[in-house]
Amino acid sequence: MKIPKLLQAVLVLAIVYYGFILVFDVILDHVIPSSLLTMYMFFVVAGVFMVFTATEESTRELVGPIKALVEDPSKKTIRNVVFVILPLLAGWYTYGKTSLSFEAPVELRTIHPAPPSSMKAYGKRYDVIKLENPLRKLEKEDPKKFKEHVAAGAKVYIQNCHFCHGDKLDGRGPYAAGLNPTPANFQDIGTIAQLQESYLFWRIATGGPGLPKEAAPWISSMPIWQNFLSEEEIWQVILFLYDYTGYQPRSFGHE
Amino acid sequence: MKMIISAFALLTILLGAPAVAAPGNADNGKKVYEKRCLMCHGEEGDGAGPGAERLNPPPRDFSEADYKIKTTGADDPVPNDDDLYRMIKDGMPGTAMPGWSDILKEQEIWDLVLYLKIFAELEDEKPEEQLDYGTQVATSPESIAQGKKLFHDADRCSECHGQDGKGDAVKRLKDDAGARTWPRNLTKPWTFRASNAPKDIFTRVTVGIPGTQMPSFADEKSKKKLSIEERWHVANYVQSLAKTKRTVRADNTVVIAEKIDGDLPATPDDKAWAVAQLTTFAMVPQIIAKQRFFKAANDTITARAFYNGKEVAFLLEWDDRTKSIPGDEAAAKIADPNMGEDAVAIQLPVQPVEGLEKPYFVAGDNAKPVNIWKWSAGTTKLAAKIELANGQGLDKLEARDGKAAGLTSSGVYKNGTWRVVVKRPLATSETDSDIQFEEGRFTPIAFAAWDGSNSEKARSYTLTTWYWLLLKPPASTKPIISGVIVALLLFGLLGWWARNAAAKREN
Repeated sequence: MKIPKLLQAVLVLAIVYYGFILVFDVILDHVIPSSLLTMYMFFVVAGVFMVFTATEESTRELVGPIKALVEDPSKKTIRNVVFVILPLLAGWYTYGKTSLSFEAPVELRTIHPAPPSSMKAYGKRYDVIKLENPLRKLEKEDPKKFKEHVAAGAKVYIQNCHFCHGDKLDGRGPYAAGLNPTPANFQDIGTIAQLQESYLFWRIATGGPGLPKEAAPWISSMPIWQNFLSEEEIWQVILFLYDYTGYQPRSFGHE
Repeated sequence: MKMIISAFALLTILLGAPAVAAPGNADNGKKVYEKRCLMCHGEEGDGAGPGAERLNPPPRDFSEADYKIKTTGADDPVPNDDDLYRMIKDGMPGTAMPGWSDILKEQEIWDLVLYLKIFAELEDEKPEEQLDYGTQVATSPESIAQGKKLFHDADRCSECHGQDGKGDAVKRLKDDAGARTWPRNLTKPWTFRASNAPKDIFTRVTVGIPGTQMPSFADEKSKKKLSIEERWHVANYVQSLAKTKRTVRADNTVVIAEKIDGDLPATPDDKAWAVAQLTTFAMVPQIIAKQRFFKAANDTITARAFYNGKEVAFLLEWDDRTKSIPGDEAAAKIADPNMGEDAVAIQLPVQPVEGLEKPYFVAGDNAKPVNIWKWSAGTTKLAAKIELANGQGLDKLEARDGKAAGLTSSGVYKNGTWRVVVKRPLATSETDSDIQFEEGRFTPIAFAAWDGSNSEKARSYTLTTWYWLLLKPPASTKPIISGVIVALLLFGLLGWWARNAAAKREN
């Protein structure tokens, strides 16, 4: 049996809509803000409309049942029912929309804002694109020394970072729940595994206040670590982050 | 989804429990320990790792063999392996100890259990005495009432845990190593090291907490001794204390102020507050700017608000185990050295936020200053007061005249809780330096608090990130009218379309 085009379109929209709700609200346990859902659905509706009206024939098939409902004299009863229900629904929707919403404003943010090409810290300029972890080469040249630096990084981490980023580097330290945005989870494949060490150096040395304007709302609680740690300590803690999680930093060299 | 998860958890419990100690391997345990535990608990297991200094409570010293959370008899120093297994697997709420079940395999945890016991030379010991649970008394209003009576009789529990269970101290407590300890605030279940299930509470009451001044209430020699049944009543009562509305809910980020007619409540004891919506926020110590502060005493604050045509009023509530009054001898006895005043602050942006770009949440920034209303509890010489400052960062706090801005306040301390009302007119004359409140607009709001007895002063304090304040406009008829108009318009449009179609057919 062939499903009518109009029903197909409605079904696709319904599946996508409830799909979003299923993925965000149920599976991810992260209620999707209604304004965001509206925005997504706007693009979905536009897309579905474009696909279903791609040819003249399919357009006719799509709008056919609607035209028939309005114009066909034999469909009088169902027409009367629809003509009462539709305006009522629209009225109800308008009422709901114009009633004040007390949902807090949605805060969209860039997770990894693009780094600047150069940054200032410790009173000097760094070329972020060329910047490399000076201790990284020891991994091959002097493994014993390298291990010492990793251990020193672990010490820096446990004395300074775990309060937010957690003992397990999973972004769930004792104070994580009180911060917004929540601290980065280094165990997640989407954080340090995707970044270069120079990026981490930039984020650590300049902290939340060092974020560029496009990273707004600018409320990251990350301290400005150049005020507390030496340059070497930052490079050491970066070594530790990769060592503990088992990830490799990204580098331009291999790509 | 939650139901599926709990059903699944139940199934795992039924199939898997009780966890059976697999023989541990000490060498593997050592390896895991060195990677995961050493940084806090130390190479020698003595709780003196590099992370220890900034932790409150301090990491456990395994060499002392003081197992605080155990289910063997009160006089038996040897814990069950399951006790250690559980602490590693689930972690300890209210401390820096996380649960490791997502990173460590079951066998690795058993290896660790063995390795930890080696630190205390207990690896060959078996516990001799198990805890007697008798028959659990299910919770009920009657059981809770009996528990409440036992809790307060001769100050059995309330001596340390306070009249309302908030752990408001009347005496200085310390652990066996001499370190300061505080009685548990029983209304904060998220700080219970095991859990606040009656069985866990029963266990603590029966065994006590070894190494601390929490005694065993099963001790025959104790004047405060309780029977098994009585201990279940106390456990049920203690669990009931945790059922408070003042808990943090991640989805609740707005302080909603309802509009009321007439005067706003001016004191914390005003009955009008009972109907205000309350929102509780997590507080974190100020670990962001110099001097970083690590050992906070408080972790939450609750806010409610009302407004009328002229003013806005806030009621702030937070638990504080001590009323800190500098200059007062009794207060000094219980306080840590260098006592300060208890205090609380509300922070608001001076200008409305645009494009969600808020001022820096720690005292504002250069481009976007904040108003800080700070109430302090006073000393033996100074009365309580409310002060106004404009902040452009912690280094740039400018004191201003709070009276001129119309700030007033009133605070009360009772049974371990501070309650403070702060009021201000909606509008002030200095529109460039003061926030002007507007109905219906979401305004960022943040809070801060100082516990004087915990040596919290100046930059040693707890704070929240930005949340929202909304002066909720009263209900209006506008939405109903718009709804009716849209319905009528659409109805007319459809009718016109059908009529046109019919007319076309007839032609």
